[in-house]
Order: sequence, then structure tokens, then C-alpha cells
Amino acid sequence: MDMEGAQGHTLDHLVKLDLKVLARGTSAAEPEEFIPVFHRWITERVLPELLIDVADYSHVHEGPGVLLVGHDAIYAYDLSRGEPGLLYSRRHESGAELASIGSLDHRLRSLLDCAFRACDLIEAEPQLGGRVAFDRHRLELRVNDRLVPSDEETALTLSGAFRRALAEAGVRDGDAPVEVKRIGEPRERLTLRTG
Amino acid sequence: MSQPTVDSAATWKERLEGRVPPRLDEEINIFETQIAQKQQGKIDDKVFAETRLRRGVYGQRYDNGQRHDGTASRALEYPCGDLTKGPNTVWDAPGMLRIKIPFGAMNGEQMEVLADLAEEYSDGIAHVTTRQDIQLHFIHIDDTPDIMRRLAAVGITTQEACGNSVRNVTACPMAGVCRDEPFDVSPYAHALTWFLLGHKDAQDFGRKFKIAFSGCEQHACGLANMHDLGVVAQVRSTSNGTTNTERGFRVYVGGGLGAVPHQAKVLREFVREDELLPLAQAVCRVFGRLGEKRNRARARVKFLVAKLGIEEFTRLVDEELEILPPDDRWSAYLGDLSVTDEAPTRPAATLEAGERPDGFAEWLGSNVQRQRQPGYVAVAINLPLGDLTSTQLRALADTTRRYNGGHVRNTVEQNILLRNISEADLPALYADLREQGLGEPGASSLVDVTACPGTDTCKLGISASRGLAGELRKRIATSIRTTGVLADEAVKDLRIKVSGCFNSCGQHHVADIGFYGVSRKSDGRTIPHFQVILGGQWTENAGSYGLAVVAVPAKRIPEAVERLAGLYVTEREKGESFQNFIARVGKARIRQLLDDLTKLPTYLEDRTLYSDWGDPREYTIGDLGVGECAGEVVTAVEFGLSAAEREVFQGLLELDRGAAETAAEKAYAAMLQAARALITTENIDIGTAPDEIVGEFRTRFYDTELFFDPYAGAKFANYLFRIHGDAETDSGEEAHRRIEEAQLFIEAAHACNQRISELQAASVA
Repeated sequence: MDMEGAQGHTLDHLVKLDLKVLARGTSAAEPEEFIPVFHRWITERVLPELLIDVADYSHVHEGPGVLLVGHDAIYAYDLSRGEPGLLYSRRHESGAELASIGSLDHRLRSLLDCAFRACDLIEAEPQLGGRVAFDRHRLELRVNDRLVPSDEETALTLSGAFRRALAEAGVRDGDAPVEVKRIGEPRERLTLRTG
Repeated sequence: MSQPTVDSAATWKERLEGRVPPRLDEEINIFETQIAQKQQGKIDDKVFAETRLRRGVYGQRYDNGQRHDGTASRALEYPCGDLTKGPNTVWDAPGMLRIKIPFGAMNGEQMEVLADLAEEYSDGIAHVTTRQDIQLHFIHIDDTPDIMRRLAAVGITTQEACGNSVRNVTACPMAGVCRDEPFDVSPYAHALTWFLLGHKDAQDFGRKFKIAFSGCEQHACGLANMHDLGVVAQVRSTSNGTTNTERGFRVYVGGGLGAVPHQAKVLREFVREDELLPLAQAVCRVFGRLGEKRNRARARVKFLVAKLGIEEFTRLVDEELEILPPDDRWSAYLGDLSVTDEAPTRPAATLEAGERPDGFAEWLGSNVQRQRQPGYVAVAINLPLGDLTSTQLRALADTTRRYNGGHVRNTVEQNILLRNISEADLPALYADLREQGLGEPGASSLVDVTACPGTDTCKLGISASRGLAGELRKRIATSIRTTGVLADEAVKDLRIKVSGCFNSCGQHHVADIGFYGVSRKSDGRTIPHFQVILGGQWTENAGSYGLAVVAVPAKRIPEAVERLAGLYVTEREKGESFQNFIARVGKARIRQLLDDLTKLPTYLEDRTLYSDWGDPREYTIGDLGVGECAGEVVTAVEFGLSAAEREVFQGLLELDRGAAETAAEKAYAAMLQAARALITTENIDIGTAPDEIVGEFRTRFYDTELFFDPYAGAKFANYLFRIHGDAETDSGEEAHRRIEEAQLFIEAAHACNQRISELQAASVA
């Protein structure tokens, strides 16, 4: 698939993307409960990437909650918009797992894989006792780079690629394919939402 | 398939071409080139470190590539390999970016850009510091030139935010609206900021240089007494004897907190407004020329003033003023002092009776102050731990545009102040702020605990200051809701300030109740503690400094706060301030009150004390077996250090009763005891003669650098050597300082002992 645009800079080069997987309404863990979990993930090298630190912002209203800071990405039990969820915010692609990514479709699929893997680990986390579960079809994808125009054309391109990645990952809303729509104001980062 | 182009501009440099002021653009381009040169190995590590620090690009915890997980230190294998951005600082490690906000003033556009940057490059949080800056954490150095360009395009710079330079110029956040100020200091702070930024006379300092403006002497907002240069607004009658007045300033020099705080001295009782900039320039020249360069621990201007005496320092400044080449900028700005004006955009109107949102009355009582201008008020936003999200910051930009034209001021209490708010708008503003999670009451009160970053992100942090502050906020809020002891009116306005170490970034010295992080060994492990500092004065521009009373385990500090508050509530005399109360009841009584909290359980009895607030990791390394092995050695040392602590405490009591000479003797004796305790690990036969102790200490712990602090180096050892050479004094101020130094020396002895234990444990393993 040719991703090259007229100016030589396309969405294929866009690394900084956020993906949030919303928690089910029945989830009952306090954000602070993630602090020891994330510390242990660093110690036990639970993820195949460099994990560095844990940051606690649970005191902030509808903030990023508790963060697990890695070199390539930040994971967070995020509380923004008052909707708890697992936020995966990619910053770099230095790890072996990510080094071969060359296209937007590939990157979005990788984003889904990384976020869902963290969701799987949290759901199985003994310290959380099964009190957190995620709806893997309720997702928010955000372009975390304001060099990318937050316009309809970009939204259309990103939506198409996201739908393909979702289909490839087998993400469905029951029996139906998930719907992807744009949310937020034009001045905000370009954001798509499913469900 | 064809993809749309991202933008005609592929980089921020292209996008912002022509929008970055040339002076800042050149600076940023130079830094970008230096980054490239460093990546190619063409710049020395130390040089590059100072280069980036002078652009506000700071280190952060774990940037040496090591992280302790509670049982062992493990390598963080950053992808950059051996590439570093300073000595022992890995290139790829996340860092902190300090963003200067002169006198804390931000407009809507600037808030929006800061919000954008926090989202894209940081963790979605903008942190307000105790010096009115904004800090972003977890920043990659490669991103910093773009961040700087985006800031510069809206008039913000990070230049000289860190490093040995003139730091952010702070000012009272009520400047221009305060009822007690003779005039607005904002335009003068603005002028001095840009005059000294990059000034050739301010580039050769041995340490940082901090400036603060205050509109008056009596309030705390500007904290002029604890700054390298403190500038307080004054007016006086003109010399021709008419009723006309002229503007000017009382100028202080040589104040500072840090490990050993100094009260500023008066450099000039009055300088005219046109004399201010040259005077500041002359002070910079004296500091640059004569300030200590090699020993960082004594390189602040406060040490130079102490060494020379204020009279000689003043004479040197006068000499510089005589030879300064004239500069049009000294007075050019006086032609337009309205440059920092923030005129109200809504009509002045009083708050009429009517329906109010829930919580409004409490918020009104704690967060709203009347302004000098009738019908207008200033509204404080109580930020928890100085943090707000990008979403909140962006919403705040919108809110301020609606109510005051889009202006705020950051405060030294890590809050944000909205000024020029029409009283009639308060209910609607409160409703808006509450919806954004910014409507918490209790600004500038007991619950509004200030904290530096501490072990969360700071490389120097010893204890979790933010963790403790967060816990205190929760408990105080609960106590207030349930009408516990902390709800009492008597304690409502006390200030609590927490620093993660002795360096005072949390300004613990000027709090009613202050804390700074230390550690203690017990049961072969280390327990996070906080020293309790009492007697500081927040008002009168940080009028006096508190002293350490006792170290309490971190997890027991909330209990200590409740006891201290309870004692004050029940035993204070009518109208007695907390500071006077502490002086009256005495530190012995306070120590007795907290004594049981200092008794340490074994690890098996209570593990909770062996970790810090908000961090589940064990605070120390080494397993129990190794710990017990080291513990045998430690016991004797700890015994000696404990005796030293008792001695310095006796010194405190002597100081309280005005016996400066005896207090100084106790401080000296305490240092000797601590040094002797360490020496016993190597020479059990050490005698008690001071010369022998100091000689042995020098040979075994100074010359070998065993005693050296990883960051402060020989600083604490030099405290002993200096006092040993000049033991007698009857000056109260000097005795106060020696008590401080003795406490720090003992802390350093604890840390040294800990390092020795760890080395022994490692060798056994």
C-alpha cells in the first residue's frame, strides 16, 4: 500500500498515537490500586519493552490516573472524561517488537495488540482480584501530534485504517463490526471513537 | 491508496517560521545544533549538561540508567546505548523541563500551548512550582527544541530556567490588585526578567541566582527575604518637601533557603525605580566576579554576603555602579509601565443575594480575596500538589477569557490566581470551575499542602514529599468534614510544606509545620523519615526560619500533624500565633509529644514503615540476613549518632532560651560525636579530644571521600572543619546556623553509615 503523499510526509510516519480501551461500568478498582501492580510489572519485566517508572496522578480530577512510564509508551489507568480505561500512549518505536512497523495500518494493529495485552494482564492481575474488566470494542484513538491537521480528510483516512485494523484484530460489537466516528472539537487532537 | 499529506509543514520549525522572536529563535537553533553535536560525541559531557540546564532541560530520577526495585538495583537498558546528556545521565532517560513564567503571569494562548505540550510530550500534567514556573515531566531531550519553539511563539522561554543563571523572576501574585501595595511591581519584574535574560554580566555564576518582588513587607506572597535578591515596593516623599511621592524599592540581598537558610540583608533602604536595573546588574557583576566557583555548596550569593559582610558587599556593588557603562534599557521601560496591565473585561458589580451552588459559601470564604479595585476580587484555584491536567488548563484558558480577558498568575503556593473577577460573576465562575474540577475550597489553608517533587521524579529526593503531601491533604479534608481536630478554626490557616530532602524546594523552613526527607536505619534496613521543622514564619515575606525538632517515620507524620494541631488547639493562649506557641511551650515539650512515634518496630513487626507514601517498594536494599549482619556494626554507630542527635537537640533548647554561645557549643559537640561514631567503625580506640576526632575523620572519611554526599560532595564535612577552626561564637544568628549545620552533618553521617553498610553487605554477598 503506497502511503506516500504529495509533500513526502504522510500518516505512515505518525508514531504518536493514543489508544484508550474503556473499562466496563462494573469495574470497581481504585486508581491507587494500580501503583503496586505497575511497580511489580517493572520489576518482573512483564512487558517486552523498557519500563521505567510509575506516576500517581489519582489526586487530579479526571486526570491520567496512575501511569506506567515506558520508553516507547506510557500505559495509564486513565480517568479522563470521567471514563476509566486503559490508555496506551505511544511515543517511540525502539523496541524489537515495534522496529519493523512501516505503515499506518501496521501501526494501528500494533497499537491494538499492545493495549489489549495490557488489558489482559490487568484483568488477570491477582492484586486487582478481577475487579477491572475492559470492553475491547469501546475504544478511543487519538492523534497525539498537532502537526497532523485535525480535519475531515485526515479523519477519513485514519478512520479507514482504523476499521481495517479493528477487523484484522477481530474487534466486533457483538456480531456487528464496530462503528467508528469522530468526536471532539476541531481544536482538539483528532480523535475517533468506536461503539 | 493515496494518503493525505500531514501538513505543508513537516516540522515545528517550518510551521512556526517567523513567529518565534529572533532572539529566542537563535538560542533554540544553537541548542538544536548542540544536541546534534553531542549525539556525534563532539561536546564534553559536563559542558553539554550545563548547556541544557541553562535551557531548562533538567534531569529526572533514574536517568543514570539504574532503578532500585526494593530488593536490588537493576539496569534500565535504554536504546541509546552509551550516549549520555551529562555525567552519568543517559540520553534516552526521561527528564524534566522547567518553563519560566515570569511573576507567574500566563494568558489564555500560553495556557493552551502549555496544555498541548503536556499532552504531546509529557504525561498530560502541568505542574506549578513553588517559584511560579511550570514543569513538565517525562520529556525526551530530542523533543525539547520543538517544545521551546512552540513556547517561544507565545512569548515563553525556558532559557536560564535551570543551571547557574538568573532563574525565574517571581513576584507577589496579587501585584496590581493588592490592597496593601503602594504600586504594582509586575512591570518592574517583567523589565528585570528580560534585562537579565542572557545578559553578559549574568553568565558566570558559580550557582543559581533567584530574584523575587513583593508589593509590601507584611505579606508572604513575594517571599523577598528568602531570595538572592529581594525587591520590595516602597514610596517616599520627594526630596523637595512637597506632597509628591516617588516610587522605589527596598532591596535585599543574600537570602536563601537550601540546606542552611539565610535571612536576606538590606542592600538599599530605597532605590528609585530608574536605579533598580543597574543595581541588579551591579550585584550580578559582584557575584560573578567574587562568588565561589569551585565549591558548589557555598557558591550562592548568601555565602558571599556572609563572608564579606553586608557593608563590604554594598561597597563593592557601589564600586561596580560607578563603572557600569550606561544602558538605555535601565530606564526605557519606564515609559510604558502598562505592559503588564490586565484590565478587567467585566463591569464591577457587587455580589447580590440569591441562590448559590453547593459549596459556594465555603469556597468564597477560603479562595476569594477582595481587590483594591472596588467590585473586583481575586480567586484562587486550589491545585492538588500543584498539578492540573491539560484538559483543565485548556478549560481554564476559556474560563478566564470569559471572566477577565484570559489572565492568571501562578502562586508560590502552587496554585493559580484569577484576578479582576467581578464579584457578581462569582457564583457562575464557581460553577464553571467546579465542573472542571478546579473548585476545591481551602486555598492557602491547612489542607493546601505544598510539596516539591521529592522521590517521585527528583534525583535528590530522599523521601516521598508528594506522597506525604497527598496523604495529608486527604486526612485533613476528612478531619474537616468530620469536624476532627484539624477542623478547628485555630489551625485553619496554618501552612504545611514538605521537601523531599534538605534542599528546601518545598520551602519547609518558612512553614508553620515543615518537613524534609531523611532516612534512618533500623533492623538492618532503612526507613523513610521526615524531619519535623517548627517555628517558621510564612508572613512578612518569610520573616523567620524554623528549626528541626525530631525525625519521625514518614508513615507516622499524619499522626504527628494531628498531635501538633491538637496541642495548639487545646493549649494556645488567646491570640497566640503558632510560631509564638511553639516558642513558648518549647521544643522539649514537642519532642516529648512525638517521642513514641520515633520508636521503630522491627521489619517483621510492622513492614508498613519500611516503605514510603505512594510507593510500595521496600525503601532499602539487602535481604534480612545481610541486614542483620550489617546491623551489628550499625548498632554501635547508630548509638553514637543518636547521642549526637540528643546533643544537637539540647543545642536547640539552649537557642530557645537565648543562650547562643552554649547552643553553638552543643552544635559543635554534636558534630564531634557524629564524626566519632563513624570513626569507631574503623578505630574503636578513638579518643574524645576534638583535634584527634577531626584528624581521624579527615583521614578516614574526608580524604577517602567516604563521607561525601553523592550530590553535595564535601559540603557537610566542611561544616565540621569550619566550626572546629572557629568554635566560639555568641551570635544568635551564627548559633542558629551551626545548629542547622550540625543537623545536616548528622544526616550526612547517617547516610555515610548507610553506604558503608551497603558496601559491607555487597562484599558479604
